[in-house]
Amino acid sequence: MPTERQLHLGLMFWATGTHAAGWRHPDARADAAYDIDLIQEVTAEAERAKFDFVFLGDRLASDPSLQYSNPAQISRLEPFATATAMAAATTRIGVVVTANPTYSDPYSIARLLASLDHVSAGRAAWNLVTGADTAAAFNFGREEHWDTAKRYAWAQECLQVVRDLWDSGADAGSGPRPLGHRGTYFSVDGPLDVARPPQGQVVLFNAGTSDQSRELSAREADIVFAGMQPTFALRQAYYADIKERADRYDRADQVTILPGLTPIVAPTTEEAVELYDLLNSLLVLDPEEEPGELVRKGGIGEGHRRNLSSASRVFGVELRGNDLAAEVPAETLAAVSEEGALRLAEITRLTRRTVDGPRRITYGDLVHAAPSELSHTVVGNPEEVADMIQEWFEGGAADGFNIYPAYVPGSVTAFTELVVPVLQRRGLYRKDYTGSTLREHLGLPVPPRRPSPTSAVRSTD
Amino acid sequence: MSTGMLLGYELPEAGLPDPTAFLLAAARKAEAARVHHLVLGDRPAAGPAGPGTPASLVAVSLLAVSTSRIGLVMTAAPAYHEPYNLARMVASVDHISHGRAGWRVITGPDAAADANHRREGVDPVTDREARAREFVPVVQNLWDTWEDGAFVHEKGTGRFIDSGRVHVLDHRGTLRVRGPLNVVRPPQGHPVVLADASDPLVSAHADVLAVGNPDSALTAAQAGGRPRLGVVTPFVAATEERARELHALAGAPVSDPARAVLTGTPGQLAERLGAWFDRGAVDGFTVRFPPPGPDGTANAERIDEFTDTVLPLLTAAGRFPATYAADTLRGHFGLTRPANRLAERLAAGPERD
Repeated sequence: MPTERQLHLGLMFWATGTHAAGWRHPDARADAAYDIDLIQEVTAEAERAKFDFVFLGDRLASDPSLQYSNPAQISRLEPFATATAMAAATTRIGVVVTANPTYSDPYSIARLLASLDHVSAGRAAWNLVTGADTAAAFNFGREEHWDTAKRYAWAQECLQVVRDLWDSGADAGSGPRPLGHRGTYFSVDGPLDVARPPQGQVVLFNAGTSDQSRELSAREADIVFAGMQPTFALRQAYYADIKERADRYDRADQVTILPGLTPIVAPTTEEAVELYDLLNSLLVLDPEEEPGELVRKGGIGEGHRRNLSSASRVFGVELRGNDLAAEVPAETLAAVSEEGALRLAEITRLTRRTVDGPRRITYGDLVHAAPSELSHTVVGNPEEVADMIQEWFEGGAADGFNIYPAYVPGSVTAFTELVVPVLQRRGLYRKDYTGSTLREHLGLPVPPRRPSPTSAVRSTD
Repeated sequence: MSTGMLLGYELPEAGLPDPTAFLLAAARKAEAARVHHLVLGDRPAAGPAGPGTPASLVAVSLLAVSTSRIGLVMTAAPAYHEPYNLARMVASVDHISHGRAGWRVITGPDAAADANHRREGVDPVTDREARAREFVPVVQNLWDTWEDGAFVHEKGTGRFIDSGRVHVLDHRGTLRVRGPLNVVRPPQGHPVVLADASDPLVSAHADVLAVGNPDSALTAAQAGGRPRLGVVTPFVAATEERARELHALAGAPVSDPARAVLTGTPGQLAERLGAWFDRGAVDGFTVRFPPPGPDGTANAERIDEFTDTVLPLLTAAGRFPATYAADTLRGHFGLTRPANRLAERLAAGPERD
């Protein structure tokens, strides 16, 4: 068992890639969302790289209009079915399922997660989301979307009942016991019909940047997906804030904070930039003439339209009518807005193209410069990507990363084959698993079964 | 309609010492014997028999990637599910099993399960019947919100889907569901829906009917030509005496309108089943294995015993086919793949009701 602090790595599994055009890459499997063999192969690949977990997001609606902005959000296999198939193909890696209590009830959630924990022999986790997506409400008999306060109050009580239900299931040597929960939102007699999960309490994930979300993370979550922060100082501040809040519950050392990371990695820097450019060149632009600045991206809110009109507004200079491959004159770049200047620095970081060097920023770069809402993108050779990971890890900004593969399976393979060995060589990352459950990967013991359910007498506020 | 006897195994829901290992072993055993389908129960409440098997969605998903030909039927009650979620669950199992998914819909009252599912604005007792009546067609329509071939993923053009072939349902009744579903149309079009013939709330929408005791089953005409599965619980042993002992040990259950209890030697059981089949009382059977005794492993032995001793006699008599004639569950039942009725309705023009 290594005594040094070790990185934790997870794989964010979007079958069509987290890059909006990732599925169009020549090596990408465009139909991966419904190819269970491939999904199992990718999971096994992450397991060979000793990842802590593979992660399944979810969205309780489909919107065909997302096909050019966020195709991965249009459709997918149901997460519990998928996670079960992933677990069946592996023996060590954790499987994380997103489930939204806003449209479900605690008994159903507790039962499905306990079942997944049993068939995976202790590798299940629950990513608790409350759903910022208004479209889902109409699929679940609602006329309107609940506000954040209602969703969180509901989720808090749901989580408590789920935890009590897991403890109500039969354990080695002791039988099931009733629950009798009577709360603000839920009335649940219990006990759970499935035995207590092998992990006792299934691992809990939470994400978000709102105050309610940070507080829920600090009090309850084992893994926190750090929200996107634009600067390193803000990343450190987010990390410190979660740890401080968790410390108030005496569990700062039990919370693992993982930002999202999209690595565009290749053997050389030049090849990595080429790949980044190739992916961006496959993006379908929004028509120039359409009104409005923002376009829905489904579940992750809105983003700027992808065209030169929108880029002109963002950068505060006239860009329309130019060839995307052409270099932008230095005088144009010198006139950009303050936000535009920050984006130019970001473009240089990603593409190595500059305002006035031998390789200049192009019009296409300005169109594609919108920062990702989900993850930090890094473009480089294996050492460069490992440097960035080490800097965040040692600089108080991350305990590891949730890896977002731009396309599948190529980006997974590139990271596991090129970057993971570097991290292992540097002593930052495990060479093998030391346990077989997700809790063991995270260094968390199985919590004892609490003596009796407490939710029956707990007020939800 | 398939030519031979249809046969499915209904596995016990509780009381197994290692449910995952049991499910895998039972599925492999059944598939090796060319049994057409497995039915996985799903009662969301603790019973007296001890810890339950995994939720049937998880169980059938596990079996979907552990087998290749046998049909996999999950159980779900409209009272405890949202139609959008249930539709995507069954559709997903159909995708990962390459067209082997089925859904047994049950609607009867269950006070213990109801008491686990009350939440603000939702009481499973309220609207139980109204929900159940609407539920199956709504789920089937959600499967049809994507036309076949709407998932185009054309790398050359960047067109991922043909959005003109993805439809909103906008169902507004006791249930309210907009759609489209977030899963593309399942391989079978509509995964197979099984229901009790005696269930007035859902039987009209089922593809396959469970008709209970074959002695009191409805006729083929009454079933509208849909496959009818009699329900039997076997106690089988090499000698009649031993079979009677097993029956007694299980509490001596008796036949009722819902199922026939059969006790005897393999030859006697094969004869009973064959006689019902030959005279057209039913098109096949769901073998509901008795719940495990104090030692749960006895259940696996019962499945092995029935499979190894009764099925070969049925095959030898030309009743139960020794090979799979199809790759999908619809195929096993002799059912064709349904047209997309939502697309047809839209093509026909203005809404009709």
